[in-house]
Amino acid sequence: MKDSFLFPIVFMLIMVVIFVGILAVMYRLSEEKIAAYQQDVFQRQVLALMVGKIAEATNEDVSAILDAYPESYELYVKAVNTEGLERQTFIAQVADSTVAYCFEIKGKGLWGSMKALVSTTTDFRTIVDFAIVEQMETPGLGARIEEDWFLAQFRDRLFVQSPDAEDITSSYEFIAETQVPEREDQLKRVTGATITSDSVVKMLRNEFNHIYRYMQDYRS
Amino acid sequence: MKLKDIFITSAFTENSVWRQILGICSALAVTNLMKNSLIMGLGVIFTLAFANLTISFIRNWTPRSVRMMVQTLVIASYVIIVDIFLKANMPEISKQLGPYVGLIITNCILMGRAEAFASQNKPLDSFIDGIGAGVGYTLVLLVISFIRELFGFGSIFGIQVMGDWWTPWSIMVMAPSAFFILAMLIWHINTRFYKAKV
Repeated sequence: MKDSFLFPIVFMLIMVVIFVGILAVMYRLSEEKIAAYQQDVFQRQVLALMVGKIAEATNEDVSAILDAYPESYELYVKAVNTEGLERQTFIAQVADSTVAYCFEIKGKGLWGSMKALVSTTTDFRTIVDFAIVEQMETPGLGARIEEDWFLAQFRDRLFVQSPDAEDITSSYEFIAETQVPEREDQLKRVTGATITSDSVVKMLRNEFNHIYRYMQDYRS
Repeated sequence: MKLKDIFITSAFTENSVWRQILGICSALAVTNLMKNSLIMGLGVIFTLAFANLTISFIRNWTPRSVRMMVQTLVIASYVIIVDIFLKANMPEISKQLGPYVGLIITNCILMGRAEAFASQNKPLDSFIDGIGAGVGYTLVLLVISFIRELFGFGSIFGIQVMGDWWTPWSIMVMAPSAFFILAMLIWHINTRFYKAKV
């Protein structure tokens, strides 16, 4: 029977149905759990990126605000409908006054697309905090752009230097990971990941050019 | 053959990396950090063991003409099962694993053991063979990553062991270092334990 023409086809079909069925059932059963977790992680990240400004405005402790999630998220963070911007936008509000903005931004890395969250001051010129949400870079090399030392370089950085120029951001020079920056325009790159490090700055510059101009029009 | 002998043969005597030169691509790709190597190794052990077990269970009904397609289907399914399970129940570990879970499918040790052992032996023997081959592979990854992480980052499992005086060797972080460390490891083991002629 095993040598007949039809048996291998029928056998393969049965195997495919069994395994695809198992995977489909497993996925359906886990789908809600996975989506809930992803939303939870995303909201925590948005809160964490704006928590410094919220703490300044409320005189509360940063860790107390973070520990109070999800109540603190519901209290201070609101999603904003920015039609035409095509980027998820959030604001941190304390007593009806906006203290920070947070945008989901996208760019290209070495191996695929990247997603990040960047929070800005209310004039959209200074980065408050920055985090990589999704990336497909080489583990141990490019993927190290998620490490805190790399992201910390962008914190509290005046990113929009010339609001009236064609490119509103300024250019940066990369130095080796082991070097100490001597000038404001120097950023440390991840060893062995020059293209990925460049891509992060390119993503920020492109997105800031777009977001800054859009938000100026949006507010007026 | 006793189960213990199957394990020792699979993990050491006929190790997939240094005797059969399989799984080289991933051995080069993931060995710049010990944590990455351990995670990849654990994923491979689990998938190898259960893929071998399943392939052995159905070996008497599997037609020869489609056996490799069936093996690929079984291996890919286990990898996806691991991925979904981790995402739903251990999301933190899933995030740390990142793309490694998907990379397990491309590891040729899995097809190698399925074809060479599981398709011809009993389920329990195949299960132990899978664990042994996975352990042998993980050991090699850990040895290479120990050298690369120590000299490349000055750390072991992310814990800094070299002081400020240490200048990291950038070459160790990059892929070429894995090539020559793996080559030296294979050369040393084969000449020392297998009396291979250079």
